[in-house]
Amino acid sequence: MADLLGFGGRAALRALALTLIGVCAWDVGTASAIPAFARKYATSCQTCHSIFPKLNAFGVAFRLSGYRMPKETEEMVKEKPVSLGAPAYKKLWPNAVWPGEISSAVPLALNVKFAYVNTSALNGDGSTATSNHDFQFPQELNMFAAGTLGDHISYLAEVTFVENPDTSVTVAIEHANLAFDSPFGPENLLHIRIGKMMPNVVDGFQEMQIMTGAGIDSLFAYNPIGPNGGTGLAGDASPSPIALPVSVRGIEGYGIIKHRAMWVAGVANGISPGTNGRFDGNNAKDVYARFDYKLGGMGLDGDTGGQKEIPAQNWRDDSLRVGAFVYRGDGSHINFPFTLADGSAITIQDTHFLRTGLYASLYVRDLNVIAAYVRGNDTLSQFDEAAVPLAVVDATYHAWFTEADYVFYPWLHGAFRYETVSNGDPGEPSLRTAVFNASALIRANVKAIVEYRRDLRHGENHSLNGVMRFAF
Amino acid sequence: MKSNLASAACLTGLVMIMGPLLVHPGAAGSLITGTVKASGLSTNAGAVVYLQQAPGTFPPSTETMDQKKMQFIPHVMAVVAGSTVKFLNSDPTPHNVFSPDNEKYNLGTWPQGQSKDYVFSKCTKFPCAYTQLCRVHPEMEGFIVVLQNRYFGVSDREGKFEIKDVPPGSYTVGVWHPKLKGQPKPVVVEAGKSAVVDFTLAR
Ligand SMILES: [Cu+2]
Repeated sequence: MADLLGFGGRAALRALALTLIGVCAWDVGTASAIPAFARKYATSCQTCHSIFPKLNAFGVAFRLSGYRMPKETEEMVKEKPVSLGAPAYKKLWPNAVWPGEISSAVPLALNVKFAYVNTSALNGDGSTATSNHDFQFPQELNMFAAGTLGDHISYLAEVTFVENPDTSVTVAIEHANLAFDSPFGPENLLHIRIGKMMPNVVDGFQEMQIMTGAGIDSLFAYNPIGPNGGTGLAGDASPSPIALPVSVRGIEGYGIIKHRAMWVAGVANGISPGTNGRFDGNNAKDVYARFDYKLGGMGLDGDTGGQKEIPAQNWRDDSLRVGAFVYRGDGSHINFPFTLADGSAITIQDTHFLRTGLYASLYVRDLNVIAAYVRGNDTLSQFDEAAVPLAVVDATYHAWFTEADYVFYPWLHGAFRYETVSNGDPGEPSLRTAVFNASALIRANVKAIVEYRRDLRHGENHSLNGVMRFAF
Repeated sequence: MKSNLASAACLTGLVMIMGPLLVHPGAAGSLITGTVKASGLSTNAGAVVYLQQAPGTFPPSTETMDQKKMQFIPHVMAVVAGSTVKFLNSDPTPHNVFSPDNEKYNLGTWPQGQSKDYVFSKCTKFPCAYTQLCRVHPEMEGFIVVLQNRYFGVSDREGKFEIKDVPPGSYTVGVWHPKLKGQPKPVVVEAGKSAVVDFTLAR
């Protein structure tokens, strides 16, 4: 492997990485508690969530079934939909529009988040920047619309509003997707989703299925690109490198086989944005796939047939779910600029990258332990300022996390998370982070969190936040 | 102390009307009918009107409380002490049944088409009310009221109830409601005649 960086260059990169850790210390994922469903079915949040947004086994089945109750019947929907055509028009097709439905009430839901933020971050020059007692009231507001359009179509849209300290507002379309659910074949064997969405290649280890609020940066925010491989977390760089995507623009197929197995296959834009108004950074597409199997507990589609005893507590689901996934990307022709220690400017392209990983989630009564491991391999092609190829570096990083979530009371849960990345650049020490969380439901849709996060390599990087979230 | 005064005023404000005795010539058995007014509620349904004490022994029965459309159906049920209630799940989603009241029980969680029985034999001071809850769906709620005898009725939306085949005698008619309270009332039942008792319930 070419060692293009001298010691000084390494130190500078390390400092940059540290700064980025500080920046990302309270980088939170998107919120996903959708009371529009509670209204539609006249049911409690706890039907699908242990403490929102964490889904229980039934909530997982509801999501995977295309926002439908397993074996849903018409009488389970308390908010009667408006018909967009009598069912008999199916018989007339293609001489009539296929009949559909929309909800009678606008299926909107809001999530609001207040944060009381205390952070400390190690700067590149060795100094420490602290920010204490910051009332970020609110920190963000998420607006959801979600539901079904008759038998075989469902949708989800989420817009997030973040008010910045200068009172400007950042608006982001976090999700907007349409799904064709079981268009043919056995129930749940095939769902096709199109749009901007959380790819199911990362199902089970992002915020809807963990109790901690902070994003798992080791898996999702790592920057695998560098002269000798990745050295730390990615900041707000544009284009943004991909470790594992929390969201993609793409087309995905997934399905459930015999209640217990899940398959996923998708194609996505990959590294973005591109130039000249393109979303995709190049003409190549990224592809991904996954296969899961669940032993014990409720089936992935909500089936309870294989269960000797169904637990009385809706957060319990004594089971083991394991999965293997792969994400393959092509970042050729997408340039990431770097300055070497000698001052020369180069660009790096992540021409081929491959993520292979394993996932497991174990439920034993009131304990849920989740873990995921990712091996990331990047072919990093370097070019000088005149676009002349310099070298090709093959770098591999390893990232994993594990989290234990425990239910002390139905309204009080605790969580501990450990996450680490062994950098692609072998000269860089690994990143290690610990997160402690206590979450309390004040009501089914109002929760308070205290979360402490600490960089185990540089204790100067830490944050302690009090968060209040409510969904309605 | 303000709240105590307020509730006292509220209670005295609700004057109970003793139902006049009406004669129904030719009626086969003696009937107690009447209306329950549930003050401040959107429905008058769900009040259990019963004879506090009746002579004799009353054989237990087997009743069914269904879980359908994510609701306990009926919402309120009354049974004679020792009776068995079959808790059926008619929904495609699993339901749980437990009660935090009296001796407390948790029957577990079971899928569609299955049922579990519970025998209400531990009540010593009638009426014994058992709230039925489902851990899976915290919004679900139902009630089972265990009584000494089989002379009871449950009010409908309009508040109407009927207690059939009451042997002649003097009784005290009690009323139980999930949210409200009402004073018991004396009634004299004569052979071949119907009696009317009305209740106004308040907090
Ligand atoms: Cu239930």
